[in-house]
Amino acid sequence: MHVSQQIITLARLVILTLVPYVLAAQGTMLGGRAGVFSVAQEGIMLVSAVVGFLGAYYTGSLFYGALLAMLAGGLVGLAFAYFTTTLKMDQFVIGLALFFATAGLSTLIYKIAIGVTLKPPLIPTLQDIPIPLLERIPFLGDILFRQNVFVYFTIFLSVGLWYLLYRTGLGLEIRSVGENPLAADSLGVNVTLVRYATTIVGGMLMGLAGAYLPMAYTGTFTEDIVRGRGWLSIALTYFGGWAPHTIFLAALFFAGVEVFAFRAQVTGIGIPYQFLLMLPYIATILVMIPGFRWAREPAFLGKNYDREKRGIS
Amino acid sequence: MTTGVLSPTGRIRSWTRAVFPYVLAILVAFAVAGAFIGSMGFNVLRAYETILFTSFRTPYGFIQTLTKFVPLTLQALAFTVPLTAGKFNIGGEGQLIAGAIGASVVGILLAGLPGVLLLPLVLLGSVIAGALWAAIPGWLLYRFRISEVLTTVLMNFISFSLINYVATEMWPDPAAGHPTTVPIGKGGMLPNIIARPPLHMGFLLTILAVAFVYIYTTRSVGGYELVATGANPRAAHVYGIDVRKLSVLALVLGGALGGLSGGIEVAGVHHRLIEGLQSNYLALGILTGLIAKGNNLAVPFVAFFIAILEVGASALQRTMMIPGEMVIIVEALIVLFVLLSDVVKVGEGA
Repeated sequence: MHVSQQIITLARLVILTLVPYVLAAQGTMLGGRAGVFSVAQEGIMLVSAVVGFLGAYYTGSLFYGALLAMLAGGLVGLAFAYFTTTLKMDQFVIGLALFFATAGLSTLIYKIAIGVTLKPPLIPTLQDIPIPLLERIPFLGDILFRQNVFVYFTIFLSVGLWYLLYRTGLGLEIRSVGENPLAADSLGVNVTLVRYATTIVGGMLMGLAGAYLPMAYTGTFTEDIVRGRGWLSIALTYFGGWAPHTIFLAALFFAGVEVFAFRAQVTGIGIPYQFLLMLPYIATILVMIPGFRWAREPAFLGKNYDREKRGIS
Repeated sequence: MTTGVLSPTGRIRSWTRAVFPYVLAILVAFAVAGAFIGSMGFNVLRAYETILFTSFRTPYGFIQTLTKFVPLTLQALAFTVPLTAGKFNIGGEGQLIAGAIGASVVGILLAGLPGVLLLPLVLLGSVIAGALWAAIPGWLLYRFRISEVLTTVLMNFISFSLINYVATEMWPDPAAGHPTTVPIGKGGMLPNIIARPPLHMGFLLTILAVAFVYIYTTRSVGGYELVATGANPRAAHVYGIDVRKLSVLALVLGGALGGLSGGIEVAGVHHRLIEGLQSNYLALGILTGLIAKGNNLAVPFVAFFIAILEVGASALQRTMMIPGEMVIIVEALIVLFVLLSDVVKVGEGA
């Protein structure tokens, strides 16, 4: 194969692999910018992977499956917002409890719906939809514009979130709630509403990230389908500096490592594949060393706001 | 990340006031699960009976419960001991696997040694391996201030590949059909304290670990510094406690306990390294630690209760075909309602 053709193939793969990381990290970022920090990503992705898979399997439409997965993610987001923003319970502890609950739920749902089968049921995987004109751009057309609809949505979402947060009044309100809810509240921003909305939408994005896995990769659901991508997306959110555009760029690294590890397994480079499987996690730990230095997290990240007490609780 | 909900809040004033929210939480969680089981068309009362009484109906059920109690308690302590110093160890699973690998390496390489020597070495191998595995996040926290939450979790995923490597490449048992090593030396196996049905000595080791943690955190200077760090890091720092060093120590201690749980699984249960031997003990251990609200002494009691539920869960699956995962939802609900009871109390101004 021609070298440039190989580069295009690899770049295509990186973009394809980037999707679940970016979706989950943008969801984490969105809630986080309003001060709500969930650690339930892994569980939300698991439960929405199963919901998305079953939804697509029973309705025969990937679109409805993805919609149901978003609904599931949004519901977990709603529960998280209720426990933390309304009941003022510790965000981290609730996030952990929801992680285990949703992870357990994912297996439970699959067992109730499908049970144990010799041949797992399959759904068709996503088709590439070339975008007219844009697909003809040399290099970029192949890499970016002959992909599946999730890829387009992820790019569109990242640009949209950047515009929302940095170019609109609503975005300013969201950021102010994460930086100083007391000041935001006194200026008439509805802190509770902003926190609910961002957490629910964030949950929906994580749900979409989960649904992508069976729809783009496997066509079926297995218990280990998420493989830590939820946790990695938290690291990505830090590494990406809690901002939509830098998260997208940082995800190139995460996806690049995953693609490299995968390709190295297939082609075989003399390293036992188990050590290649470790690579994404080791690389993530390594990039967190600079990542935690430059990431300025929202000042009220992970802290609940109690109006009655005029401060955190 | 605040630990407000979990920090040990002094002495419990009266037992009834402490126990009441738990009873309520369990009742509500069971009611919710019952509604769910009922809606699926199963007999709810029979399901309750199976979950709660399987452990007490036969000697086998009871011994099975005590056997489950061992990893649950140790995994919960691996979570709550670092929590005493305000650190979140979500890496009990990786530490268990590291401990199991450590125990197996010693048990296989020194298989010829007599039991008096081999058994302590096997257990020591697991404790050291678990402690080292947790020392990596500890060092990253100390040196680069990287949140231990993420690094401990990521270390779990690394351990999954490591155990696969050891079990398929280093000492594989070709007859097993699943990534498994050859057995460890006979001397490295934990003797039984009850012969039939068999209960291995890991149960006693667990009780010893509980006692050690209790005495260490309440009766020693080092343990007091640990508690002080968790209660108020700034105050502890002002009084000359090296808070950062203690955070690392707390994680390493947690890792040692997690490693021991892996060592006991190898030396007491499987007598070899098997991929997947960590089961879902991390989830159960952390849920146990959360229900115990981080209180080290409450851990064994909660763990015993969770062990009853887990033995009930497998019976549920066997006899009624209700998926055992049902029970982990119940346990997560108990966590939520136990934590919720604090909110209600605060709301009343108590």
